[in-house]
Amino acid sequence: MLQRVFAASCLALGLASMTGCAVNRAEGHLMADADLSKVKTLYVVHNDADKHDIDKDLKTAFEKRGFVVTNGPAQPTPYAQDAVVTYIDKWMWDITMYLLELQVTVRNPSNSFPLATADSLHTSLSRKSPAEMADEAAASIVAAKH
Amino acid sequence: MNFSSMFRPAALAAVCVTAAFVAGCASPSKPENMVPVAAIAGQHKASTSVTVAGGKDTDSMGKSQISNDAFQQAIVQSIEKNKTFSSVVKGAGGDYQLSVTVVNMDQPSFGFSFTVKMEAAWSLKKADGTVVMQEIVKSEGTAGATEAFAGVERLRLANEYAARNNIAAALEKIGKLNF
Repeated sequence: MLQRVFAASCLALGLASMTGCAVNRAEGHLMADADLSKVKTLYVVHNDADKHDIDKDLKTAFEKRGFVVTNGPAQPTPYAQDAVVTYIDKWMWDITMYLLELQVTVRNPSNSFPLATADSLHTSLSRKSPAEMADEAAASIVAAKH
Repeated sequence: MNFSSMFRPAALAAVCVTAAFVAGCASPSKPENMVPVAAIAGQHKASTSVTVAGGKDTDSMGKSQISNDAFQQAIVQSIEKNKTFSSVVKGAGGDYQLSVTVVNMDQPSFGFSFTVKMEAAWSLKKADGTVVMQEIVKSEGTAGATEAFAGVERLRLANEYAARNNIAAALEKIGKLNF
């Protein structure tokens, strides 16, 4: 009897701990005065610390939404495009490496002041590919409202 | 197998699981810990409102975060402490509108000492909408290995230090404005 109670307790705790680990977030925020409807062209700045070419995934994600997108290294301001996209990618190891969080910021091409931000976070049990998270972040930015 | 020999590993497992859960619970950043300690020069006779966006709520199984409410309270307390503005009003009606957006928080996942890098966008406008200041403020905060045993606690402290430094830098810039 005690063995069954112990086994059931272990199973319950195991399930509870696994459920708790599945944290997901997909948020977008538009700055008070920002109007992304005027933005047609974007420049995605490659993050020097990024070893997975997330800028290419973001380029694809924004192109899918009708923007004309260029990607590459950081350049002196002002950029020729209507807005600049920067990002921070956080990776985690759990059996294999996976993208834990992608923070994306759309900025004014002249002074880098933020226009919109997005955050895509998926922990191990609900992990997504970098392309999917880039797509999710781009979708959050496009959908963000005041 | 008798009762005591079976109970011992069960008790040990329960203790381990409980310890793991307690150690792993993240707590949100506290406003009072984000108020700059040193005095910040520059006082204006006008009043202002303060709005904050871009913060995140803390998930108990995730990382410690800074919520909009906590960051706003910290900014209000900092303004009142340093008299950067004569008063802070709620909602509309102030001479100025201070809007702060947490743009990103670069938080570590492992390590003994944790360093958090924070970027916030500070915008100050007159009541009529004229922009007085638009600044990106970047700051860092490091919590040493001896400051807290649990990693989640060290991360909370590092968040608070980064936010405190961010507020101090921004209020210093605002204090130097002429209006």
